[in-house]
Amino acid sequence: MTSEQKAVAGKIGAHAFMIFFLCLVVVPFIMVISASFRQGNFAPSRLIPDKVSLDHWKFVLGIPYEEIVNPATGEKRMVKATTPPLLWFWNSIKVSMIASAGIICLSGTAAYAFSRLRFKFKGLTLNALLILQMFPMVLSLVAFYVILDFVGRYAKWLGLNTQPGLIMVYLGGISGYIWMIKGYFDTIPASMEESARIDGASQFQTFIQILLPISLPIFAVVFILSFISYMSEYPVASVVLQSSDNWTLAVGANSFLFEQEKLWGRFAALAVLSGIPITTMFIVCQRFIIGGLTSGGVKE
Amino acid sequence: MNGTFPIRHILVALVFLPALYLNFVIYQTGNIWVALAMLIVLALGAFVYLSESAYTFRYLFPGFLGFGLFVIFPIAYMVFLSFTKYSSANLLNFDRSQALLRQETVSSGKASYKYKLYAQDDGQYVLYLEDDKDPTVRFASDPFELKPGVQSTGEQEAVKITALAQTDQVKGQPLETGQITRQKLLPPMRGRQFALPDDTLVGMAGLLKFASRERVWTVNPDGSLTNKKDGHVIKPDFQQGIFVNDKGEKVGVGFRTFTGLDNYIRIFSDPRIQGPFLRIFLWTVAFSGMSVLLTFAVGMLLSVVLERKDLEFRKGYRTLLILPYAVPAVLSILIFKGLFNQEFGAVNAFLKAIFGFAPEWETNPWGARGMVLLVNIWLGYPYMMLICTGMLQSIPAAIYEASAIDGSNPITDFFELTLPLVISPMIPILISSFAFNFNNFNLIYLLTAGGPKMVGGGIAGETDLLINYIFNIAFRDSGTNYGLASAIATVLFFIVGSLAWINLKMTGRKVKI
Repeated sequence: MTSEQKAVAGKIGAHAFMIFFLCLVVVPFIMVISASFRQGNFAPSRLIPDKVSLDHWKFVLGIPYEEIVNPATGEKRMVKATTPPLLWFWNSIKVSMIASAGIICLSGTAAYAFSRLRFKFKGLTLNALLILQMFPMVLSLVAFYVILDFVGRYAKWLGLNTQPGLIMVYLGGISGYIWMIKGYFDTIPASMEESARIDGASQFQTFIQILLPISLPIFAVVFILSFISYMSEYPVASVVLQSSDNWTLAVGANSFLFEQEKLWGRFAALAVLSGIPITTMFIVCQRFIIGGLTSGGVKE
Repeated sequence: MNGTFPIRHILVALVFLPALYLNFVIYQTGNIWVALAMLIVLALGAFVYLSESAYTFRYLFPGFLGFGLFVIFPIAYMVFLSFTKYSSANLLNFDRSQALLRQETVSSGKASYKYKLYAQDDGQYVLYLEDDKDPTVRFASDPFELKPGVQSTGEQEAVKITALAQTDQVKGQPLETGQITRQKLLPPMRGRQFALPDDTLVGMAGLLKFASRERVWTVNPDGSLTNKKDGHVIKPDFQQGIFVNDKGEKVGVGFRTFTGLDNYIRIFSDPRIQGPFLRIFLWTVAFSGMSVLLTFAVGMLLSVVLERKDLEFRKGYRTLLILPYAVPAVLSILIFKGLFNQEFGAVNAFLKAIFGFAPEWETNPWGARGMVLLVNIWLGYPYMMLICTGMLQSIPAAIYEASAIDGSNPITDFFELTLPLVISPMIPILISSFAFNFNNFNLIYLLTAGGPKMVGGGIAGETDLLINYIFNIAFRDSGTNYGLASAIATVLFFIVGSLAWINLKMTGRKVKI
């Protein structure tokens, strides 16, 4: 074999490998789309649905539709979701957006202090933050329950079974993001802020007017990463939110598959409907995210 | 700076005055310690935002507050619980448990009453009593609720009864005995107690009668209880968290109690815990280790192939390969739960059609473990691929050119040049990925729920990770043993915490503080 033939063979091999792998990645998604259009609630198992129906989509969107109860007599009944599952997606977006915005405020200001200001035990505190955050949220559930139950006695809107309560609990997870933002601040030379100080700007003004505008990329990364992680958060949301009109996407989606009768079709429609916007957002913001990842953050 | 001075004071006042009011409300409702803690936090906050000397902490205060309340407090609370006996059998605090015993009564036979039950318009009932010996002694109770057919437990407070003047009549619709039985009001009435004005208790004694009752136990100053009838004493056993008599028999309902290291000793000595704990621990380590190695291997392989500059559609491939990372993991996990369905899922349909065999993904422990790993690789490789791509691009091309002159091939290049260069900066990422998978609760909970069940392991499942096992002990088991779950959680926290610490030591040189 000449070296040229060798190169061509290698290239074909590489393409074959890529296509094989892409099948593993893409086929599950195609099957879910197919299951969402398939009549009956079957586990995703076909590339093309045998009997096409829009019932699952109607259910997820909260549109009433007719279902045949008894095939022999042709008896029908109207079906309509008591809580339109689309609402769960909207709840998730609300909770994740507000929590992520809160995370940015809390971790951004803290990261500023860690990067630009001097205080005692700085290194120790930074390390302690990271190690303590290793305590998984799942294990804090008992304590979260106690806190929210107590808060709810004085402010019902912030207690158990409320979205503000869930958001409040989520605001604890800041230490990873403090590290990320601090890392970014450290790469920006302080000379610009120092000269602004000489010109009479206050410390706070240099933070808001000089450092923040240059650091927008890292804030975008933190926002997206925390948004995605909260969109997927299951255990805490499932304990805090009890009534179905408060549920987030993760809790609602799992509720279709929780009981003995698994409603795969409805789940599939909800998964497609809510998965596509998030995935699109991720792909569009890819460049940012990858930049943030390689600077040392971990997606959880 | 002086220009912003009044604004800051107004803002501080706007936040702190309502908070102080809330603090006062909390204090008034009897939560003195919480109120005190809140007052300290408020004072600290006021100091931070008003004093120039605490300037730095103005940036840190909000973050630290959230972190303290939702990360540090739960940890402290968990560690505290791990030293206590706290479960569904030991749920109440000591005072409540003692109060329950004090509510136990027996018929004293001192006085007996005829009774009549009056139904009120709002669905409640009023009890009317008339002394058997002296019909002029009459009483009526406050309105109270009765749930038809529901046997009340002795936990309800006694209903107050007041004396009825000679001329007064009880309002409402009187019920005949037949009506009372038909409406199933007897079972809830039997459990009820009523307190006369002189605080003697009255309860049902037979179908047609009420009789005065007296408490079974009197409380002694040392917390033990004496039986009024035969004088035997029961003492609280703070090791077991329940009252016991001289023979060591348990009486009443258990209470929470401080048991020191008992829960920890139980992890390592109780065979019912120790067996599953050890197996689950080993599986957790194996799962995390294999997940890291395999996702790294796949991610590395893909990024090396994608680094070929002459490969067409590189960008398109890369975008599609990132998909598992872009789709919310909860959704993908649930999708795979369907695909790996043993009877109807796509994976087995495909395998059966091509190779003629269908693995037991749900009922066979090894099948389930394999499935969990496969799904986790699928979920995890894109992250590794992204990181590896970044690292590969930072390797200077000159190195490969030099080795090409020596006549090397791509495979030896990879193992002798690329891998050694990439592996050392990768180590911190591999460690944090290990720690993440060590606690990968969602994957197991949503995909297999720990199943299949471990034979003889109680609530332990063959695919349960430690964190899922803890969750099961605390929330899903009929025993809901918070104390034991907290002890295992504390052990787990030490393991993962030391991993994080090692990781910090390794990257520490690079972090500028």
